[in-house]
Amino acid sequence: MRQVLEWVAASPVHRFLVHVGKATLLAVAVLKTLPRPRSYMASTIQQAYTMGIRSLPLVLFISVLGGAVTSQQTGAQFAGALPIWVVGSVAEKTMVTELAPILTALVLIGRIGASIAAELGTMRVTEQIDALYAMGRDPVPFLVVPRVLGGVLVFPALVVLANVAGMTAAWFVGILTVDGLTTADFVYGARFYFEPFDVWYSVIKGTLFGVAITFLACYIGLEGKGGAEGVGRTTTLATVVSTVAIMIIDVAVVPLLKLF
Amino acid sequence: MIEFRGLHKSFGSLVVLNGVDLTVREGETLVLLGPSGTGKSVLIKHAIGLLEPDAGDVIVDGISVPSATPEELARVRRNVGYVFQNAALFDSLTVLENLWLALDDDRNLRTPESCREEAAELLRKVNLDRSVLDKYPAELSGGMRKRVGVARAIASKPKYLLYDEPTTGLDPVNAENIDKLIMELRREIGVTSIVVTHDLESAFLVGDRIALLFEGRIHACGTPDEILASTDPVVRKFVRRGRADAAVA
Repeated sequence: MRQVLEWVAASPVHRFLVHVGKATLLAVAVLKTLPRPRSYMASTIQQAYTMGIRSLPLVLFISVLGGAVTSQQTGAQFAGALPIWVVGSVAEKTMVTELAPILTALVLIGRIGASIAAELGTMRVTEQIDALYAMGRDPVPFLVVPRVLGGVLVFPALVVLANVAGMTAAWFVGILTVDGLTTADFVYGARFYFEPFDVWYSVIKGTLFGVAITFLACYIGLEGKGGAEGVGRTTTLATVVSTVAIMIIDVAVVPLLKLF
Repeated sequence: MIEFRGLHKSFGSLVVLNGVDLTVREGETLVLLGPSGTGKSVLIKHAIGLLEPDAGDVIVDGISVPSATPEELARVRRNVGYVFQNAALFDSLTVLENLWLALDDDRNLRTPESCREEAAELLRKVNLDRSVLDKYPAELSGGMRKRVGVARAIASKPKYLLYDEPTTGLDPVNAENIDKLIMELRREIGVTSIVVTHDLESAFLVGDRIALLFEGRIHACGTPDEILASTDPVVRKFVRRGRADAAVA
C-alpha cells in the first residue's frame, strides 16, 4: 500500500494536480486581496508603467512586421483571383482578431513573464520570500497582485497599439508591394468586413493573455527552487507554460465568446 | 519559551530531523551546533512556520505553530525576529525601504520617509551610520548586510531572535563584531535567542547553553563548560575538530 502511495505521489499526474491546487489557492488569495487597494495600488501603477514602457518598442516593431507580411502574403496569394481590396479585409481580420493579440502576448511572455519568473524565483532561492513571511508580510499583495493587475492594465492597451501599428504597416507595405492596390482599395476592404466587436475581441484576448502570463509567471517564480540553475529552469518553465496557455486560451475564446 | 517536541522532517527520502526535542528558556541564548547539512536551519525555520513538520510540534509562547490560525501565526511572527544566513534583504529596495517593510504593516499607513528616524535608530542599535539608509544591499559589505538583517529582525521589537549562521562568510573581525552585537542585543533588549552556527569560537562566546544536533536529533545539550567537559565521543570529536580549526584560523 505504501509503495502504491509513493508511486502515486511521484507520478506526473499527481504533481500536476498538486500544482493546479496550489495555483487555485494563489488565485483565491489574489481575489481576496483586491478589496484592499491601499496595500497594492502604488506598486501596481509602478509595475504597469514599467511593463508598458519597457515593452512598447518591441511590441510595435513585431506588429509592424506582422502587418507587413500579412498584406504582402495576401497580395501574393490572392492577386488575380479575388478583388484587390480583399488585402485590406484580410489584413484587418487577421491583425485585429489574431495576430496583434498573439504577437503581443508572445513578446510579453519573453519580456515580462520571463522577467517576473526570474525575479520571484531569485527572491525565493535567496530567502527573500521567506523573509517576507518571517516579517508577517503577505507576498500576495506585495509581489503578486501588482504584477497581475499591472498586466491586466497594460496588455489590452498594448494590443490596441499593436493593432494600429500592424494595420498601418499592412497599408503602407500593401500599397508599395501589391500591384494595383490603392489606399482607397485598402480602406474599403478593411471597412467592408469590419465589425466594432473585432476590437473588443482583441481587447478581451489581450486582457486574458495579460492575466495568464503574469499570474503563471508569479506562480512559477514563487515555486522556484535550487540556485542559479533553478532560476534558469523556473524562467524556461514560465515561458513554455505561458506559451501553451495563451495558445489554449486563443483556441478556447472563440466558442466562449460565441455564447454571448 | 520555545519548545520543539519530537520534531520530524524529511525532504523526499532524506530524513533531516528525526525526533528533535529541545526547549529554549526565557532570556537565554541557545547555540545550535552541528555539522553542515544536519538540519539546524531547517529546525529553526519550523519556529516561525516557514516549514511544516512531518510529525511533532513546535510551541512558541503556548501557541502550536504547525496548527496555528493565521492570526496566531502572525502573532508568533511578530514576536520572533529571524536573521537569515545571507541577510535576505530585498535587493530592489534601499536599506530604508527594507526596514520600512519591517516597521510598517500591510495597511501601508506610513511612507518610507516617515519611518526614516525609526530606521536610523535601528541602524544605531546595530552600530551602523544613518548614511547607509539610502544605499541598496548590493552597495554594502557582507558584514553590513548582516547588520541590516539584524536591524530588520529587531524592528518589530521581538521577544525572540533566531540567527541563522550569523558569522558564516565573514572575516574574523566582522564575525567578532556580530558576536558582540548578539551579546549587546541580549543585554539591551533582553531577547531570547537561538543562534545556529558551526563556528565554535562564536558558539562558546555567545551561548548560555549549547545543543549539538547530530543525525537528526539533539545529541547533547548543556552549558559551554559541560560541553567542553563531555566525554561523549561525538561531542569530543566535534569540539576538538572545531577548536583546532579555530586555532589554525
